[in-house]
Amino acid sequence: MKNSVVSLQGVHKYYGELEPRLHVLKGIDLNVAEGEFVSIAGTSGSGKSTLLNLLGCLDDTSKGTYLLNGKDVSTLSDDQLSQIRNEDIGFIFQSFNLIPQLTVFENVQVPLLYGARSISDCGDLCMQVIDSVGLIPRLEHRPSQLSGGECQRVAIARALINDPALLLADEPTGNLDTSTGDEVLALIEDLHRQGRSVVMITHDPDVASRAERRLLLTDGVIVDAEAA
Amino acid sequence: MISTKHLELVRLGLRSLLGYPMRTVLTMLGVVFGVGSVIAMLALGAGAERELLREIGRLGIQNIIINSVKPEESTDSSSRANWINSYGITFKDHRRIVATVPGIKRALPVHVSKRTVWSGSKRVEGTLYAVMPEHLEMFQLNTSVGRNLSHLDDEKLARVCVIRSGLLKELSIFEDPVGLPLNIGNETFHVVGVLEDDAFLGYARKALSVDAKSSEIYVPYNSILKRHGTRSITRRSGSQEATDVELNQVVVSVEDLDQVLITARVIDSLLDRSHPEKDYELVVPLEVLAQRQKTQKVFNLALVAIASISLLVGGIGIANIMLATVTERTKEIGVRRALGARRHHIMAQFLTETTTISTIGGTVGVLVGIGLVQVLTLFTGWTSVITLFSVLLSLSISMAVGIISGIYPARRAAGLDPITALRHE
Ligand SMILES: Nc1ncnc2c1ncn2[C@@H]1O[C@H](COP(=O)(O)OP(=O)(O)OP(=O)(O)O)[C@@H](O)[C@H]1O
Ligand SMILES: [Mg+2]
Repeated sequence: MKNSVVSLQGVHKYYGELEPRLHVLKGIDLNVAEGEFVSIAGTSGSGKSTLLNLLGCLDDTSKGTYLLNGKDVSTLSDDQLSQIRNEDIGFIFQSFNLIPQLTVFENVQVPLLYGARSISDCGDLCMQVIDSVGLIPRLEHRPSQLSGGECQRVAIARALINDPALLLADEPTGNLDTSTGDEVLALIEDLHRQGRSVVMITHDPDVASRAERRLLLTDGVIVDAEAA
Repeated sequence: MISTKHLELVRLGLRSLLGYPMRTVLTMLGVVFGVGSVIAMLALGAGAERELLREIGRLGIQNIIINSVKPEESTDSSSRANWINSYGITFKDHRRIVATVPGIKRALPVHVSKRTVWSGSKRVEGTLYAVMPEHLEMFQLNTSVGRNLSHLDDEKLARVCVIRSGLLKELSIFEDPVGLPLNIGNETFHVVGVLEDDAFLGYARKALSVDAKSSEIYVPYNSILKRHGTRSITRRSGSQEATDVELNQVVVSVEDLDQVLITARVIDSLLDRSHPEKDYELVVPLEVLAQRQKTQKVFNLALVAIASISLLVGGIGIANIMLATVTERTKEIGVRRALGARRHHIMAQFLTETTTISTIGGTVGVLVGIGLVQVLTLFTGWTSVITLFSVLLSLSISMAVGIISGIYPARRAAGLDPITALRHE
């Protein structure tokens, strides 16, 4: 069996300090193997984003353990978590989350500023990545001058710049029409073929069907979508 | 280590400042005016100190000036209308100082008398200073026209004088004054030179008993003393008053600067014995200068402290705007954290922005301050000195203001929880 990149064991997540607390995740067990493409579906408010934020080391679990590449995330320091987010995880957000005052090129470059890599070869690297999402002609444009699909491709390029092993995508096509959505999906499938592990959240069954394994988040637990 | 990465971070920091040009400029203004007024105050303070040095330093910091002072009259003056009023330093005092006080380079005698000066039909009341030639040299009384008094003039008891151009104006003389005869008292003196327009100022004038008109007449010491003696008679509506002051002034030069204050004490105690009525005073320029400089320093400090308040207000302005910016850009901070920015990266980003604002503001402020000083000196005639030190000081203070005012907002930004920041709309 392949190594697990992601391994969740009995993970719970509550919101709020006081009772009654909002119990969103109620015992999640999830393994994502190296190079696997997993999709997670679920109704709105079921906790998909909450789960993905946990996987992306942006938030911490209320209970249970999360092993990322075999390491218990709860034992890591803030700086170590930052380093993991920078080097090991590529996060594609539901709402792009580009920095409005920066150009396409600069947005893609941001993760490099916080990494250990020296920036001398970064120009070439950025160009390469931007080229792979087909945005070379829009290099100097601001996010406000781009279409939704273009923004999402910038976000993908940014997620790829540090060549992460794990790609997390939160409804990457949620804000796009079907044809642009397809382009974006094709990009993600490409990345998967290159050997990256992908966890993609979507509530669109067509989109979910592109994944190797389809899961469903319901009532705070993960079930196999095929079985459901 | 400064890498291209840091430069890139600075460049992007500048970018976000340029994103809100109006806000950035307004924020900067606080620092601009703060630094401007600090520069101006430092320049005016340094100018005042230089002025002080020029004014009192001209008296010579190696010198001790002994002046004769008319004592308080003990009895009714009308009953002694025709008496001789005799007081002050005597020739004997002078001799004794020269003979007994150690470490003295020279002690120049000065005799001052009021005389009526005639030129043709014009007349003015003039003040005659009978001095040794070294006296003129010592107080930098240089002639701009003609020559100065010489030892030969003194030996020959020549009737020559050196005057200020102010006297020429009062006597309405416009032709070449060299060789001009002036009737002083009952005698004719010939003008040999006119002094540069470099009048004694403020305290120096008082110490040398020169009046505000600055129309002194300098004559060879012995020409007056040997011919006229020391008695002078003032006629006043019927009564006449005779004054006999042997020496109005003695200017003692001390060999060693370290010995000036001690020598002054020695002279004081020497004179004190023979002058119980206190008809003399000692002026020690070195002492006066030190005192005045001390006062000026305190005053300067107060000025700069007041000016610094505006710099403080400028700093608070930066902090305030930055706090608003942090709130406004919470989402951006969340995005950066999600992409791997560590807390110290976020700190650095905001500190870079505040420091950039304050340093640019400081630089502009220095220019504004220099301009302000130029305008002030132009309209008030004050002296000002802009030193490199004050410029560097202001620049480092403004940089520090940027860092200090950025610390709190930057810490706030860095302390944000990534997910909370990211969810912020
Ligand atoms: N910071 C928070 N504080 C309190 N409640 C929260 C917080 N974040 C999420 N929730 C709640 O947790 C539940 C799950 O939210 P989440 O964003 O994970 O849903 P989702 O499955 O991604 O929904 P959608 O499909 O609409 O994006 C929701 O009911 C939401 O109101
Ligand atoms: Mg969601």
